[in-house]
Amino acid sequence: MRTPLSAALSENENILRSVYADCSDAVFRRFAVGGQTSALLLYIEGLTNVEEIDRCVLAPLMLQTDQPPSGPPDQLANRQIPVSGTKPVADIAGVVEEVSIGNPVLLIDGQTGGMAFSLPKWEKRNLEEPKAEPTIRGSREGFLETLGDNMALIRRRIRSPRLKMRSMEIGRYSMTRVAVAYIDGLADPKLVDEVMRRLQKIDIDGILESGYVEELIEDHPWSPFPQVMSTERPDTAAAGLLEGRVAMLVDGTPFALVVPASLFTVLQSAEDYYQRFWISTAIRWLRYFFFVISLLLPSAYVAILTYHQEMLPTTLLLSVAISREEVPFPALVEALLMEITFEALREAGVRLPKQVGTAVSIVGALVIGEAAVSAGLVSAPMVMVVSLTGIASFTIPRYHAGFAFRLLRFPIILLAGTLGLLGIMLGIIAIVVHMCTIRSFGVPYLTPLSPARGSMLKDVLVRAPWWMLNTRPQPVGQLNPHRQSDNQRPGPDTGGEQR
Amino acid sequence: MPYNGKITPVQMAFLLHPTIVATALLLVPAMTERHAGRDMWLSPLWALMAGFATLLTAWALHKRFPDDTPIEYSERLVGKTAGKIIGVLFIFFYWHGSGSLLREYGEFVSGTFLMETPTEVIMGGMLIIAAYAVRGGIEVLGRCAQIMVPVVVVLFMTLILLVSRNLDPYKLLPMLEFGILPSLKGSIVPQSWFSEIIAAAFLLPSLTDRSKGLRWGVITLLFVAVILSLTNLTVLMLFGELAGRLVYPVMSAARYIEIADFLEHLEAIVMAIWVFGTFIKIVVFYFLLVQCTARVIGLSDWRPIVLPVGLLILISGIWTAPNLQQLVHALGTSIVFELLLIQLGIPLLLLAVALIRGKKGAPATAK
Repeated sequence: MRTPLSAALSENENILRSVYADCSDAVFRRFAVGGQTSALLLYIEGLTNVEEIDRCVLAPLMLQTDQPPSGPPDQLANRQIPVSGTKPVADIAGVVEEVSIGNPVLLIDGQTGGMAFSLPKWEKRNLEEPKAEPTIRGSREGFLETLGDNMALIRRRIRSPRLKMRSMEIGRYSMTRVAVAYIDGLADPKLVDEVMRRLQKIDIDGILESGYVEELIEDHPWSPFPQVMSTERPDTAAAGLLEGRVAMLVDGTPFALVVPASLFTVLQSAEDYYQRFWISTAIRWLRYFFFVISLLLPSAYVAILTYHQEMLPTTLLLSVAISREEVPFPALVEALLMEITFEALREAGVRLPKQVGTAVSIVGALVIGEAAVSAGLVSAPMVMVVSLTGIASFTIPRYHAGFAFRLLRFPIILLAGTLGLLGIMLGIIAIVVHMCTIRSFGVPYLTPLSPARGSMLKDVLVRAPWWMLNTRPQPVGQLNPHRQSDNQRPGPDTGGEQR
Repeated sequence: MPYNGKITPVQMAFLLHPTIVATALLLVPAMTERHAGRDMWLSPLWALMAGFATLLTAWALHKRFPDDTPIEYSERLVGKTAGKIIGVLFIFFYWHGSGSLLREYGEFVSGTFLMETPTEVIMGGMLIIAAYAVRGGIEVLGRCAQIMVPVVVVLFMTLILLVSRNLDPYKLLPMLEFGILPSLKGSIVPQSWFSEIIAAAFLLPSLTDRSKGLRWGVITLLFVAVILSLTNLTVLMLFGELAGRLVYPVMSAARYIEIADFLEHLEAIVMAIWVFGTFIKIVVFYFLLVQCTARVIGLSDWRPIVLPVGLLILISGIWTAPNLQQLVHALGTSIVFELLLIQLGIPLLLLAVALIRGKKGAPATAK
């Protein structure tokens, strides 16, 4: 494919036509420059702005018959063709690459080089609110499917030229463009190199979503926990960059990847930093609490009912026992049935067309609700437990990360059903050991809790006000640890009453 | 030759603390009471003597051989054959130690919570998870300890706080009725537990900041003494001299808790304290056993022997005693001397040899 372009236009055309054989969307436009020299314009229909080609390329070249333009394509581009983005191409592969991203390529008979014009245009979505990570306060812009637009969304937030975007192509057939964004001087060069190395190692036929990349660059591919943070929000990605992390933008998906990630980046929401710190702190605690609930509530219920009834106060135990009297299943089976039903409902709700969605919620209310109880299949407390667990699992701000914990719920329910509270504890220990084992791009997953980083805990246990968050998270931001000057605390200059 | 990986001095303290406290919390109060009576709360403070003696010996040896564990420097001090014998002693000691530790855990759980589950299943379940952690290496152990131990301490303090309204300070009186001798006698069992701080000798070479090793070792010992003394005080003020008759006084204390007719029967908290603490202790013993074995027989990679060694620990746990009563009896008598002999005697002997021969290790940079 690295065949250089020859001077004879017909030769080039033959090669290109064989490359694009049976590609009905490839357009070969033969015309004469100034009515004399024959030339070829190659583009893909639907990827290219045809009106602009007509106005800026074809019109100036074809219509000047009195003083025909001549010379190599780069000179023509400089003098005759009013298009901002131009790029010379020297070989067939270069032509194919430019054409594939929507840039028309001009070849002229008798000249060895061609010229590509940046005139791509295709149908795309408008800027929309990020669907998977909505916030009340904060930017309403979400990433799009177009790499260029996504890079612009980040660049609009970090205007410094020290924001670097290295790009590459991954995928033998899809030739997907991937951009690696980082801030020079904040991100550790070793981290950037490591990201580039892992990306370059990928050899796959196609990348259709950043999830492919995510699974191909993880440290611990067997772990259920996400070791790469994916986000739909440009502000979250920009915040990550400012902390010294590296972001990856993949063409064709609105989800950017940010590394290194830790458990707590997964449990934090962009909005935590936009509202008053008291509220954010309270919400974080609520989230941590419900995170534990979503993991442990059903198994604790099973364990207590099966093995440790004495832990319940007598009156509560009696009311639970009465409601369970007609239920034909042991608590373990009941819990598993209900949890699986809940997961099925959730999955159905996501996949179904919107019009059918209301039907699912009506049926769902019957299956997990009063009807199931009055049918005598499940007990009312179990319905409460399952619903509470369901709500709790939706408080994890990153939907996809929440999945890991939802999955882990099932083995813990089984452990609780076989070993009681001891089983739950063994389950917790196993999860903690696993989380202590994994790293994301060299950073331990439980940082800053363990290994402990005292100065970072104020952004994990609470959300300290901005004027206290003087340092970037360690060890990600250790290259440039201070993100603001020290005396940022606001307040009036003088005390006392106004005269 | 440190292990693959480094831990911070704080993580070392978090590893060593449960290594002493975890089992001492449940069985030792009753054993102490039998000798010390009302003065049992003093005994852990006396027991600090053995703790400091062991820690200082380990530190003095570490200063001479900063990159070596006891396995290596015993070979360098007393020669290859005698050194190997000491290494084998350590292997058998940690094998027996982790076995009886695992058995204590199994007996506690099957005796108080899961009466019909075979002890082997309970011990095996714990061992599988421990093996997974040990395979992760010392860094993983350090991180696990840093997560779990604060939780354990907070739960323990909560327990004491909740039980405090049932406490009767007059049960402490008369203090020192028969002089200090009973409390000293009572301290013999805790002494042996305190000597478990020798695990520090194995961990010191893999610290990120070795100069802080001694400081955090001392903090660990003091903190252990405070926790044990607090436990004994609580148990004593709650049960008086009845404490010696109970197998697990702390467990019985938890049964006293009753708040607002809702929080009652909080034995689960004790179990959480116990399971988390014992997990760290088992993991430390298991890790040291694997390391000693690999070093004595000269393996280049220790990971392949983790699972086989785990199986051996399970067997040792089954063999160690026919039942709980005999296990407790052994822990109060012969095992005391075993612990003190290996954990304090051998290091003292090594230090004496080092002092007499004036032998110094290679400088810290040698590798």
